Amino acid sequence: MRTKDDVQALLSRVLSRISAPQAQVEYDFSASLTTRFAEGAITQNRSGEEESLRVIVSFGTRQGSSIINSMDDASLERVAERAQTIALAAPQDPEFVPPLGPQSYPVAQPRFDPKVAQATPAALADHVAGIVKRAKAQGFVPSGLMSASSGVSALATTLGLFGYDQHSKLSLSTTMHGAHGSGYAAGASWRAEDIAPEEIAGRAAATAHAAQNPRALEPGDYTVILEPLAVAELLLFTAMSLGAREGEEGSTVFAGTLGTEFFSSRFTLTTEIDDPRLPAPPFSDDGLPSRRIVWVEDGVVRRLHHTRYWAHVKNESPDPSLFPLCIGGDDRSVEDLVGSCHRGLLVKRLWYIRYVDRKELLLTGMTRDGLFLIENGVVTGPVKNLRFNESPVTLFKNIVGLSRPEYVNGSMRVPAVMSEGFTFSSVTESV
Amino acid sequence: MREYTEIALGIAQEAGASFADMRVVEERENRIFVKRRSLRLIDEAESFGYAVRMLIDGAWGFASSTTLSRDAVAKTAHRAVATAQASSKARRTPPLVMAPEPAHVATCIGPCEEDPFAVPHGEKADLLLSACDAMLGVPGVVMTLGLLEFSRVHRIIATTDGTYVDMTTTFANPMLQAVAVKNGESQERSYQGGARQAGYEFIRSLDLAGRARWWAEEAVLKCCADPSPVGVMDLVLDPDHLALTMHESVGHPTELDRILGWESNFAGRSFIRPNDVGSLKYGSEIVNFTVDNTMPGGAGSWFFDDDGVAMQKFPIIRDGILVGLGTTRETAPLIGWEHSVGCCRADGFRSFPINRIPNLYMEPGSREEVTPESLIAGVDRGVYIQGRGSFSIDQMRNNFQFGGDMFWMIEGGTVTKPLKKVTYQSQTRQFWGSCDAIAGPSHWKPFGLMNCGKGEPSQRMRMTHGASYCRFRAIRVGEAKV
Repeated sequence: MRTKDDVQALLSRVLSRISAPQAQVEYDFSASLTTRFAEGAITQNRSGEEESLRVIVSFGTRQGSSIINSMDDASLERVAERAQTIALAAPQDPEFVPPLGPQSYPVAQPRFDPKVAQATPAALADHVAGIVKRAKAQGFVPSGLMSASSGVSALATTLGLFGYDQHSKLSLSTTMHGAHGSGYAAGASWRAEDIAPEEIAGRAAATAHAAQNPRALEPGDYTVILEPLAVAELLLFTAMSLGAREGEEGSTVFAGTLGTEFFSSRFTLTTEIDDPRLPAPPFSDDGLPSRRIVWVEDGVVRRLHHTRYWAHVKNESPDPSLFPLCIGGDDRSVEDLVGSCHRGLLVKRLWYIRYVDRKELLLTGMTRDGLFLIENGVVTGPVKNLRFNESPVTLFKNIVGLSRPEYVNGSMRVPAVMSEGFTFSSVTESV
Repeated sequence: MREYTEIALGIAQEAGASFADMRVVEERENRIFVKRRSLRLIDEAESFGYAVRMLIDGAWGFASSTTLSRDAVAKTAHRAVATAQASSKARRTPPLVMAPEPAHVATCIGPCEEDPFAVPHGEKADLLLSACDAMLGVPGVVMTLGLLEFSRVHRIIATTDGTYVDMTTTFANPMLQAVAVKNGESQERSYQGGARQAGYEFIRSLDLAGRARWWAEEAVLKCCADPSPVGVMDLVLDPDHLALTMHESVGHPTELDRILGWESNFAGRSFIRPNDVGSLKYGSEIVNFTVDNTMPGGAGSWFFDDDGVAMQKFPIIRDGILVGLGTTRETAPLIGWEHSVGCCRADGFRSFPINRIPNLYMEPGSREEVTPESLIAGVDRGVYIQGRGSFSIDQMRNNFQFGGDMFWMIEGGTVTKPLKKVTYQSQTRQFWGSCDAIAGPSHWKPFGLMNCGKGEPSQRMRMTHGASYCRFRAIRVGEAKV
């Protein structure tokens, strides 16, 4: 892995080859190990590393870009030349925004753990072998993915900007299949100490054990408790609708909602950058400094996401990346939420979510790897998977309880959400 | 390149590999992206890399690199040995073996009449800007997207079987979309013709700028249309729509790795069991599906798959009965098949090749007198659906819900009015079992798909589907809460 100084020197070298008045150069390095297993055996085990470089140049409002994954002198010459050739022939872009000059980046929380970068295929395989052994002992068929990656993202512009981010990620997900039900659990973090494979496997096995022999339940409107994994899936689609311009044009569910109490007063959605367990990168792809942003506060829509161009048009500040996205929670456990539920469904995970109506943010998808009936404050048994047709807006409007937030996918911090009137439309025999 | 492949394969054999390959992939891409009237991106990307894969004592090793030298290839091969040794800690019993395949030596070049990389970027950008401008000229249209994407993939695969194949394929992938807002509604309408293994001649054949206004007008029309009817009724589906339906409910369930449970943690499994081949009733007697990885212009026509298996044509469903599956060389022996049928592909040098959907199409009906119009004439109450829209299916590929891009009410055998927000729900075999008529061969149309997601880490893959217009009886429509 190149050092920060090496990367800066490389980007300077590329910029020096560019005659265009404005340019941005982006560098990425990634080294990764991925060990995939299924049916109790490793089915893929790969190791790879790669550097890539992107050059974006502009002559006035004409812009061109070129990408390469080789860093020898001839390649660097070629990528710079090609981007310039493209830009010179490109039409004018009426929404062109120039590259950024020097920025003040927040003092970044650490995002790189040498222990993750130094992981070996043998070490990952040892963890997988342990999971397989445990699963087999419990009568389950395990599958999953364990991955260790590390890398660098950096950018520089002709106007003097330089940004550098070194990062790592260790992740494990596993599914345990029994004859008539399954369980899933996952964890991801930038640091090795946060990932406990045995604990993750134990959660998947516990769900699989409880999920056996589900009974059919009539589809309809239910009170649901969506566990954090399921909430995160729906939150992703919500985030994709947060564009300020699209809202103003009327093509998203957030049209006309700014400043209104659009969600439950229990719902607060923010971008947080200072959580040591979930540190934000110092800058976005376009070089904007990361910062804390309140999108929804106590149910009131406070801000929609402004790109650099739209911010310029509206005389607003441009917004960096939405992630890490966080939903505030209460000091309660999922079990506490279950205890407060008269009749409802506990949803472990959702799957294959797609838009039905983008404007209304109506989504469809399936439950998967654990769906349970709650009666009188107690989980009374597993039920067969259901298809939902529902909007996360409804979910977050009808909140009646939140748990303590948990970390999901290394990019979100969300609680379990208990909400009323969640619509399921059909049942499947699939487990 | 042989001097390098021999180094890698030699190291694998010294380490005791029963099979090894070195796959070299050189890729060039060109993308032009327009949003509204803004030219967001013109870029060209090139990448080079290779991977060494080896099976030692039934355990897989795999390593990739972007540096080509004798030392770098040797190091990469040794890293692959190390990963294979690690894999042996949780090895399948009995150990994996590869289905045999004869040695192939060939150089193959796919169709490309007009090199898309030689067409000036300005011309391509002007095409998209003209199309978007035409769409934005329709009152009510607030946003448009236009994309042209071209790629050329040069693959060399050398295996310990003695195979050495050198293949070049070129792909052209256009996209146009209009988003309209009217009467408090927002609706979209898109180009639906798919991608093709072809050069720029494919783009020229589409008249994107000329047809753009029509898509925009239909997006506005949808805003003002009636919502979906609710109930059990008949459907007439066009070939563009069926491409996605068959992809999800026939293509994925017939992948043998899913049937074996190898996608349990991500993409899911399949309701099919290996011994269903030859007996499982999948659809009505007129339903016939064929795999053809030799199809001219097919996005999955790669000459040889990434196992080094020659691509081929074979039936998957005949007279409504499941008769075939898509396999790789490692999965085929696990169900007692002697050879793989060539469905193993990776989306780049850095990716491990996996079981992928091939070019898969539904055979047209045999009678030319069956037309889209005659199918509609046979519907008392139903919906005619054009193009692809919302899609979702469970992890065993049973319960699904589809939308579409444009919808028309059918009443008394006639199309009466446009509709919006139509969805239908069914179970895979029930759905294909309800197919009662298929239009004739002249209505058959291919559809190339460039972004099928599968695998962990996720990979994108290309394949072509195809169909004629079909009619389905008694399907549940409109259960989504819209």
